[in-house]
Amino acid sequence: MTAVPLWVRLPARERVGWLRTVDHKAIGVLYIGMGVAFFAIGGLEALLLRAQLATPEERLLDPETFNQAFTVHGVTMILLAVVPLLVGFANYLVPLMIGAPDVAFPRLNALSFWLSLVGGIVLYFSFLAGGAPDTGWFSYAPLSERAFAPGTGVDYYILGLAVNGAGTIIGAINLAVTILLMRCPGMAISRVPLFVWMTLVTSVLILGAYPALTAALVMLLVDRQLGGHFFDPAGGGQAVLWQHLFWFFGHPEVYIMVLPAMGMISEVIPVFSRKPIFGYGFVAGSSVAIAFLSFGVWAHHMFAVGLGDTENAIFSATSMLIAIPTGVKIFNWIATMVGGRLRMTTAMLFAVGFVAMFVIGGLSGVSLAVVPIDLAVTDSYYVVAHLHYVLFGGTMLGIFAGTYYWFPKMTGRLLNEVLGRWHFWMTFVGFNLTFLPQHWLGAVGMPRRVFTYAASTGWGPLNLLSTIGAAILAIAMVIFFVNLVRSLRSGEIAGDDPWDAFTLEWATTSPPPPENFASIPAVTGRRPLWDRKHPELRDAP
Amino acid sequence: MRPPADAIGTLSLVVGAIAVLIFIGVEGALVFAIWRYRASRHVAGEPATFERNRRLEIAWTAAPALILAVIFVLTLGTMAEISGAGVTPAMRIAATGHQWWWEFSYGGVKTANELHIPVDTPIDLDLTSADVIHSFWVPELGPKMDMLPGVTNHLRLSARRAGSYEGQCSEFCGIEHAWMRIRVVVQTQSEFDAWLAVQSKPRTTVETDAEKIFLANICVSCHTIRGTDAKGTAGPDLTHVGSRVTIGAGVLENTDANIVANMRGWLADPQRYKPGALMPSVPLSNADLDALAAYLVSLK
Repeated sequence: MTAVPLWVRLPARERVGWLRTVDHKAIGVLYIGMGVAFFAIGGLEALLLRAQLATPEERLLDPETFNQAFTVHGVTMILLAVVPLLVGFANYLVPLMIGAPDVAFPRLNALSFWLSLVGGIVLYFSFLAGGAPDTGWFSYAPLSERAFAPGTGVDYYILGLAVNGAGTIIGAINLAVTILLMRCPGMAISRVPLFVWMTLVTSVLILGAYPALTAALVMLLVDRQLGGHFFDPAGGGQAVLWQHLFWFFGHPEVYIMVLPAMGMISEVIPVFSRKPIFGYGFVAGSSVAIAFLSFGVWAHHMFAVGLGDTENAIFSATSMLIAIPTGVKIFNWIATMVGGRLRMTTAMLFAVGFVAMFVIGGLSGVSLAVVPIDLAVTDSYYVVAHLHYVLFGGTMLGIFAGTYYWFPKMTGRLLNEVLGRWHFWMTFVGFNLTFLPQHWLGAVGMPRRVFTYAASTGWGPLNLLSTIGAAILAIAMVIFFVNLVRSLRSGEIAGDDPWDAFTLEWATTSPPPPENFASIPAVTGRRPLWDRKHPELRDAP
Repeated sequence: MRPPADAIGTLSLVVGAIAVLIFIGVEGALVFAIWRYRASRHVAGEPATFERNRRLEIAWTAAPALILAVIFVLTLGTMAEISGAGVTPAMRIAATGHQWWWEFSYGGVKTANELHIPVDTPIDLDLTSADVIHSFWVPELGPKMDMLPGVTNHLRLSARRAGSYEGQCSEFCGIEHAWMRIRVVVQTQSEFDAWLAVQSKPRTTVETDAEKIFLANICVSCHTIRGTDAKGTAGPDLTHVGSRVTIGAGVLENTDANIVANMRGWLADPQRYKPGALMPSVPLSNADLDALAAYLVSLK
């Protein structure tokens, strides 16, 4: 068995191999590499935004540059960083976890990745072609119409997102088919690890949501390039139609970004608690509930559009309902820890951090489902704070937990725990310092997406605090990158199963050989590796 | 009628208190679990598996559902209250969003960027947009409402105390979104009536040389000064521009001491203060700029 030697300097001929690989692990690593690179770029954009807002009436960036920066920051983090990171982990781990040699369609898998990457490159090419899009990541019509956005930025936004989305859709089909058809003997769907469950649910969400975005993008392109009037009220179109289509994609997209991270910590918390997950059925079932409900909540982004009290009340109710299956998961993770023997590794710290921060994002989310409160704080920094508690405090901390947990499997080496602890605590402090004050700023009237604010508003001190937090967060990320590079070269050798874990990916070498397993494993429970290591304590089938 | 801001404030307190209680409970349980079950406290051997308890799980599904049901009922009540169901507004004011300024029309009498309303009186704003989507938001007065082209939305306003309230556009509307500020001046009924009477009049001065400068330049293609031949509608109505406390929708704040200098600076180069704004720099001599600034400030 030859392992994929990730950290070794490859001869030129083999380096080309990365361009034509169809191995799910190599493609997973490519996705993760893409995600890490765009995460760094998106982070630098965020630092520019925070620098500009640190003091009132700052003129570091001109308005146009600022508007481009927040637009590209949003698109980058959501579609070019977080989604590729999650898809990358899913690509790498799903076949290993279900005891399969690869995904169902390896060549299609490569196509997915390259389309996703090309989409990102097309978006960034806009900087060279006369200016990046500057209409916000949700690019509301008619501001995005040619009458108000005459440059080519929005066209690159359309093309970039459409191509990137095609890659994501193809990838979702591949992962769903893999999970449904390629499980090893004994791996009933009720036994697959929860990360696999979440990936399956996420794939279904992608298949339902992304086509709505693609359709909206095509309609906008028709408006801009062929003189259409889909979103142009002067020509009989409707501005609000864009919002319906966009959020029909946009809200499930939130769960597309959160569920896999929930899956990650649902692997990490049990292993470091030395217990099986509490309420496997409830955790898996609640995800299905979230998936269904997430297609019926989109208009809570539109309470201030004037749809009417009846429509608003309906979407308020569905949005509150979705808090129930989400809350169930929080209780399940805590119950998993209760009675366990907790090893507070860096991976576990980040997983617990996810739970702690996601609670805040969840509670502020419920407040936004309360229509009158939403009418007061929507489109303000309160929403910026809320979404970062969900997507950074939630998803990104989950991804960090997953990174510390699976890095040894992917590379054969452990990440450094001392640097890891610094990374965690600096992130925790920097994150809360950045985003906690923004709740207050929004509540007292600071709208999102302003390139500056009058000194007379009194918003200066809290904005400065937020910017200091962002600087601390940036240092935390530098520590993380140092840890990645150092550990890749000279980290402690991990061995096959450094965490005494439960699931099949730890039953093969680190990193795993091509085709993953010497022979296809057979399983009898939800914790196949545990059963093999502890036959006397094996789970009841 | 209770002002919408008060109704939202009460609801926010109730929801906030519930959220704080849940926060303390859940985070407390999490911290307790970390402290109580840390490995160093543990005796040797693997912990017992405890992975299922149907009753517990039904309980912690039902409890949030009940809390949310209560919040939802409160939500419906407050929604009805702030939309002003059953209360006839004393006045309707048309508000139109423009890139990047506000137009307020009191039955055809137009003003810009400053909304005057009488205290303790329910007012309905009829909101629309001339271009892209904007959103009218004055935080101390409560809810916001979007302004969409081709659609008229309604927002109920009512202020308990006289005074000046600030807000700004809260839907990203292009390059100068940040400088699309609103000032709401809440006045006693008699002050408001007096203000509206002044605003309703055409310009009160006689035609001066300075006015001729205005009328002879491209100013007239965008601006109206009632009582003159200037009838443009793309920019703010300037009939009483000298009575406003800001220029450029909040970019320049006027005092008695600086208003002429502000006006002159703005006329000389609007792009310096509000880059991207639709008002061009009009090439005028220094003498003309001085005269024009003084003239506009005199339009009280």
